[in-house]
Amino acid sequence: STSSGLSKDKDKSAASEDSTCEGAAKKQEDGAETPKQKLLNIIGNMKVEVTYRKKLQQLKASESEKQAVKKLEDLDSEGSVPQGITEDTQRGKPLNPELVKAASAVASSLPRNKKQTESELLAQLRRHEETTDKQKKGGTINIRNVISEMTVKRQSPAQRGARISGRISLQLDEDGQRRRRERSSAQSVDSRSLKVGKRLNIFTKASTEPEHALKTVSSPTIWDLEFAKEVAAVTAQPPRNGFEEMIQWTKEGILWEFPIDNEVGMEDDAEFHEHIFLEKHLEGFPKEGPIRHFMELVICGLSKNPYLSVKQKVEHIEWFQNYFEEKKELLQEI
Amino acid sequence: MAATALCWALRAVQQVLPSPCPRQVRSYYVDWRMLRDVKRRKMAYEHADERLRINAIRKNSILPKELQEVADKEIAALPRDSCPVRIRNRCVLTSRPRGVKRRWRVSRIVFRHFADHAQMSGVQRAMW
Repeated sequence: STSSGLSKDKDKSAASEDSTCEGAAKKQEDGAETPKQKLLNIIGNMKVEVTYRKKLQQLKASESEKQAVKKLEDLDSEGSVPQGITEDTQRGKPLNPELVKAASAVASSLPRNKKQTESELLAQLRRHEETTDKQKKGGTINIRNVISEMTVKRQSPAQRGARISGRISLQLDEDGQRRRRERSSAQSVDSRSLKVGKRLNIFTKASTEPEHALKTVSSPTIWDLEFAKEVAAVTAQPPRNGFEEMIQWTKEGILWEFPIDNEVGMEDDAEFHEHIFLEKHLEGFPKEGPIRHFMELVICGLSKNPYLSVKQKVEHIEWFQNYFEEKKELLQEI
Repeated sequence: MAATALCWALRAVQQVLPSPCPRQVRSYYVDWRMLRDVKRRKMAYEHADERLRINAIRKNSILPKELQEVADKEIAALPRDSCPVRIRNRCVLTSRPRGVKRRWRVSRIVFRHFADHAQMSGVQRAMW
């Protein structure tokens, strides 16, 4: 059970060594403790955000301490640490020295062959670094390798498109020509000239596509519209059955959409109080007299009308206002 | 059914549809009387609001009579074709002014013709 616990710790530390750089430094401070306790400290004090300068200073301060401790405990692990460092420098990509030291500590804590485990851990670390760097650069090489290894059972999209276009034109051709086309398409699948094989990644594709898309969207010329109309007219085949006829009618607006929506075309976003309480529109009218009486009746009628929108009601009231203002002279004579 | 027939009938002035599927599209009104009726309907729609408001002033017991007389003159001054009374519900297919059933908007002869050919939805010869 102790060995399994230790292996678990090893896995955890190997997986999260990118984030436990500070843990390694902390471990170095506790020089007098055993490596097992050091590991437990690493796992227990996991923090993510620590500046690199602090880590370096801590490293330099506690390097000598750590080396002394190591000499006391294991001679082999100390020998393996400089080996690991030399290996890294040979590879050309220097790993984080704290990670290296953490790996060495983990290896030293295990009972088995420490050199082997240490080298394996360092190799894993290197792989992690490589993958993260690749993903940062945006290299999708690994995915492509995986896809190229997979067997392609279906046709490629280009061939599929060619077959569909062939079918559309084949409706007019004779039977002999149809068979010829099928044979040639089968042969092109068998020969596998251009589309198979690993890519060299010489040309970069993805950057140019979105620019082109933006350019075409911003300027649809009249010729483009006419071409689109032509294409639509040519491809619009007569409906094969009643369902397609009904679909076409619905698109044209002849047939309503089912289930029937009673409020199609009626987009009245106003609340109920705007329909009913129309007295605020009566501010332009005199407060007494027959006109006010008349307008109050008008408003009462409008508030009970569910068929008009608020705009229409307001237009009614405004028309009355204009009308009575024009007739002011007449009214004053009375 | 009646709605579709009306749509087809009132598409007289519009172009033929560009789609290649063959459909009966009406390019002309049946006769001039039908055209005049169409014009009257359009005018009535345009002036409907004004007529409603002026009539509201006229048919009133609150406002003074002088105002109502002025409103009378105003409504008489509107174009003659703007009043809805002049609209005649003609047959949509033959422009027959009489014998038109309101639900189907067709004259009785056309109605009988379609019903006998089973082209009227839900219409059956009566037998009891």
